[in-house]
Amino acid sequence: MNAHYFFPPAAAYPLNRALFRLKSDPEYRQRFAADREAAMAEAGLASEVREALAAFDRDRLVGLGAHPYLVFMAELRLKMDRAPAAFEKF
Amino acid sequence: MPVVAAVACPHTPQLLMRPETEDRELVLRVHAAYARVKQRLTEARPDAICLIGGDHVEGFFLDAVPAFAVAVGASVSGHFGPYDYTFPVHEPLARAIVEQGIDREFDLVYTQDVRLDYAFYVPLHFAMPAPAAPIVPLYVNVYLPPQPTPRRCYAWGRALRAIIDARPERVVLMASGGMSHYPGTHRYASPDFEWDRAMLTTLREGRGADTARLTADELDKAGNVELRTWITLLGAVGEAKAEVLCYEPSWHHGNAMVTWPVR
Repeated sequence: MNAHYFFPPAAAYPLNRALFRLKSDPEYRQRFAADREAAMAEAGLASEVREALAAFDRDRLVGLGAHPYLVFMAELRLKMDRAPAAFEKF
Repeated sequence: MPVVAAVACPHTPQLLMRPETEDRELVLRVHAAYARVKQRLTEARPDAICLIGGDHVEGFFLDAVPAFAVAVGASVSGHFGPYDYTFPVHEPLARAIVEQGIDREFDLVYTQDVRLDYAFYVPLHFAMPAPAAPIVPLYVNVYLPPQPTPRRCYAWGRALRAIIDARPERVVLMASGGMSHYPGTHRYASPDFEWDRAMLTTLREGRGADTARLTADELDKAGNVELRTWITLLGAVGEAKAEVLCYEPSWHHGNAMVTWPVR
């Protein structure tokens, strides 16, 4: 069966590392928000990966070996930074 | 001292930071269930809270992926959006769990410097008893395959109970996770609520040991990879019959809160 959460392929390590930093490293996230191309170049991503990440195309990213949860939370954290007022805080 | 309370809770970030896509009334009902848990934990007068959480690739990334880990630092911290939090760790209990866990042949990872993600924070935000108790964060790998088997999680929970029963502290056992959800996948909008409800029936009947026979494939398919934290707790509560405080299915998540009687 194709698992929803699969073993992260070694070839996707740079991509998963970039997603992890987007999720958990506020400074990297800010750099990405300010200049995606520069932040992705810094992460050493291949051009195919950069295209998918620039568009935050979930299916393509997962197809390239991205961990689905990392895609999800990286995107949410970017949104939380961009539009903090869009959330009701408890 | 015995375990003085056992509870399993959800931790979806939407409970903490609600976007407009999340039903506000549902969120408030889950908060109300959390208030009942907080009351019970306060009445239990714990000296420590052992919090079994599924790491959301925050404490541990792909540089090292422990199946089970224990935080034994003086404190643990983390942040999520506008929330910055630090909790003291009950070091004597954490250290006893590591040392005796290793003695019992669970090859635990321990760490004195690890981040605490919202999976741990959300239950503490809503249900920390008054006065507050120090915590022992117990990490379970739920998101990075291969994860520990349900059988191993259950066995680890049994060992935890035996270790805690021989300690002087009054201990709350809390599992954070579940139920069905598929963040980041094409199934995000269609959780398996039927699977959740059948599982809750099993737990109400005191058949928590059945969960040790689940497979990794079954958990992944049901959107319940995080149930490993509950299964660990179930190893500690044995045949106790669950009381379901709430089951609130949202468009993407089965929010369940469950307690078990202890002694």
